[in-house]
Amino acid sequence: MLEVRGLTKRFGGLTAVAELSFSIVQGEIIGIFGPNGSGKTTLLNLVAGLARPTSGVILWQGTNIAGWQAHQIAAAGLVKTFQNPQLFPELTALEHLLIAGHLALKRRLGWQRLATLFRHAQASQTLAHRAREVLALCRLDAAREARAAELSYGEEKMLGVAMGLMCEPQLLLLDEPASGLGAEEIANLERVLRDLKREGMTLCVIDHKVGFLRQLADRAISLHHGAKIAEGTPEEVLRNPSVVSAYLGRAHAAI
Amino acid sequence: MTQLIAGQLLNGAIVGTLYGIVALGVTLTFGITGIVNFALGVFMMLGAYAAWYFADTVGLPYPLAVLAAVGVTAAAGLAADQALFRFTRNNLVNGLLVSLGLIAVLEACALLVFTATPKEMHRVLPGIVMLGGLVLPKMKLVVFALLLTVIFATYAALTRTWTGRAAYAYAQNPEAAALMGVATARLQSGVVVYSCGLAGLGGALYAALYSLEPTLGSLFILKAVEAAILAGIGSVTGALLGGVILGVTEGVGSIYLPLAFRDAYGLVFLVLILLFKPAGLFAGRR
Amino acid sequence: MKRLAGTALVAAALLALPLATQSDFVLTILVFAFLQGMLAVSFNLVFGYAGQLSMFHAAAFGIAAYATHLFGKHLGVGYWGGVVLAAALVAAISVVVGAICFRFRLREFYFAVVTLAFSEMARLTVLNWNSMTNGSLGINLQERPIDGTLAWYYVALGALAITLVVCWRLVHSWMGRAFVAIRLNDELGDTLGINVFRYKLVAFTAGSIMAAFAGSLYAYFLGSLEPGLLSIDTSLGIIAMVLLGGRRAVAAPVLGALVLTALPHLIHFSAEIRSLVYGAILIFSILVMPQGIYGAAAQLIRRHA
Repeated sequence: MLEVRGLTKRFGGLTAVAELSFSIVQGEIIGIFGPNGSGKTTLLNLVAGLARPTSGVILWQGTNIAGWQAHQIAAAGLVKTFQNPQLFPELTALEHLLIAGHLALKRRLGWQRLATLFRHAQASQTLAHRAREVLALCRLDAAREARAAELSYGEEKMLGVAMGLMCEPQLLLLDEPASGLGAEEIANLERVLRDLKREGMTLCVIDHKVGFLRQLADRAISLHHGAKIAEGTPEEVLRNPSVVSAYLGRAHAAI
Repeated sequence: MTQLIAGQLLNGAIVGTLYGIVALGVTLTFGITGIVNFALGVFMMLGAYAAWYFADTVGLPYPLAVLAAVGVTAAAGLAADQALFRFTRNNLVNGLLVSLGLIAVLEACALLVFTATPKEMHRVLPGIVMLGGLVLPKMKLVVFALLLTVIFATYAALTRTWTGRAAYAYAQNPEAAALMGVATARLQSGVVVYSCGLAGLGGALYAALYSLEPTLGSLFILKAVEAAILAGIGSVTGALLGGVILGVTEGVGSIYLPLAFRDAYGLVFLVLILLFKPAGLFAGRR
Repeated sequence: MKRLAGTALVAAALLALPLATQSDFVLTILVFAFLQGMLAVSFNLVFGYAGQLSMFHAAAFGIAAYATHLFGKHLGVGYWGGVVLAAALVAAISVVVGAICFRFRLREFYFAVVTLAFSEMARLTVLNWNSMTNGSLGINLQERPIDGTLAWYYVALGALAITLVVCWRLVHSWMGRAFVAIRLNDELGDTLGINVFRYKLVAFTAGSIMAAFAGSLYAYFLGSLEPGLLSIDTSLGIIAMVLLGGRRAVAAPVLGALVLTALPHLIHFSAEIRSLVYGAILIFSILVMPQGIYGAAAQLIRRHA
């Protein structure tokens, strides 16, 4: 589904991502581990079109999307959420989702959506219905009419996921969805992600918190200083000595 | 021909220092308060009319008139800061709108008080100087020298005194500076007042060279902002260089292209710089 | 339903107004107010809804005014032909200016400065192209395509109504939602699949086209053309109308237009005092009443409801 080959990103003298290659298969949940600064967020930004690669190829269903603009990549089915929740100030949760329904409407109607500008739209009923469905899936019903500023941190992050879902993605990239969340919220998040997987969605989750990904992911990759140092099932990767030393320092790896 | 070009070059450089001093005000204000203060143009106009008033109507000797003008402008700057700019720190759009409003108000006041009839100040320092075949009014040289002194003195103050370095540090990293004990509110107000004073000085010196109209501020501020952005908003020496570059290209350009286009260069320059290098040509340098 | 009834009532009142007052004075003020209202409402689409502070709106207004006359005179297409061609010209220029600005992803402040620069360039062109525009002297318009204050009243009212309907439909559609997304967080909008460049350009161009129509009508009602139509003063007036009236409702800027148009006629203002008032309103609105008259009124009603 997604194949990354030789992906490199340099910021002046700093190499954030170094010759990274891996692939994601449809229907799986793949986890990307790595301590802070290992290039995880940069990787996601590159794939989602928020940054341009210095070199390398990003193949999405056979097409090279490296250098595409963010909205084009979203339209192609690849959607990313933000680690620090990005929201629309003053709008309610429902309004956020209505805005996020833009892409789905475009897909469904194409150029004909211009006609709906001056006719009373059937589309807005379908849209509102879908938005409520997604809110229910993300267990945000209670917060439906709450403004962005009134939401708790966990709800903000969930809203980010919900907005991503409204875009009907085939691959959802989640940037540290569990960071900053309490135990109950993490359990909630896990439930939602498992529900998504059951419905056939492919997920790529990055996090530096190991526990959350360990149970959730089918497969895992570990990054360190922008390069892949291990690949396999979560258990295999976490037992890998280079991974342990990356997280905890060389002394612990020997143990 | 070369004499004409040389003459325009020199003239352009002198006009450039006038742009530069206002540009310096623009750049300092932006670095510290985060807004581009378009109103500095009217403060320049205020300084010009104040100097004219003190010199010709009140009868003060010119140097005193200049000092008085600077004092008036700085005081006006303080008033404006406390009443208006204080509420739009770091909000560029609101800051712009408030500045535009202030400009309209002050220009209208000037029109009402002084009318649109151009005012000419008496000749302060008549006489010319011969520079290798080129004729230069003495006053222009004095203005040039004075402005350069003030600009470099500002640069020195920024890099050598404690207040200056605090300001510099604040512009680089506001939070860290605040934690180190830099009084941010006072610093921001201080910068606004100082910039208005600089603009007032520019205006007071302008008054000795050219005739005054209430709209002179608007003409100047656009050039000053162009100069500041040209050289990298936030750069002190850049502001001077930007001003001089602008002044010189305008002067030399006016030989070859019709007068009408003189104002247009700056605009085209400005657009190109903002499109390709919004941080300015000299960005990164201070 | 309540809103529809209210709107219908206002519309009926405005339509019937000339029956109640024979005063040419009142009708003239209202024509100016309606046309300025068109300007303000279309500016609000770009600024209040899409979040782009465009200083080019006055230029669109002025260019269309001049172009209507020049096309009509030199191409022999008459007034209405000139109006259409002028709008097309403004649309083309807006697409170019907008594409340049948005392609380079200019942030709000720099966008304002660049559009200001383009606007000044347009004004300088008009000021100096003496052969076509008669420079600073302006042009006296002899043609009377619409005759009589009463006819003008209904034309202006109609034009304003069309502008309001178009803006209202846009704002309450999926495109309006895209505008809001762009205003509040365009990076987020980008990741959600909204083509930020395209919709900024659409808002900007649509606004400019409506300003162009306003310009074509305004100049001919006024009876003269002068470079001041494209000046920063005009831009200031437009911003003042929108800030005063309110940004959060499509029709709110009309309130600002009504106040600012009627005021100079009720209290005799010289040009200087008018600038002073605009400036003061700008400052007052930003610092004290950013929601405008409409917003403040809405707040009051909500509190006492």
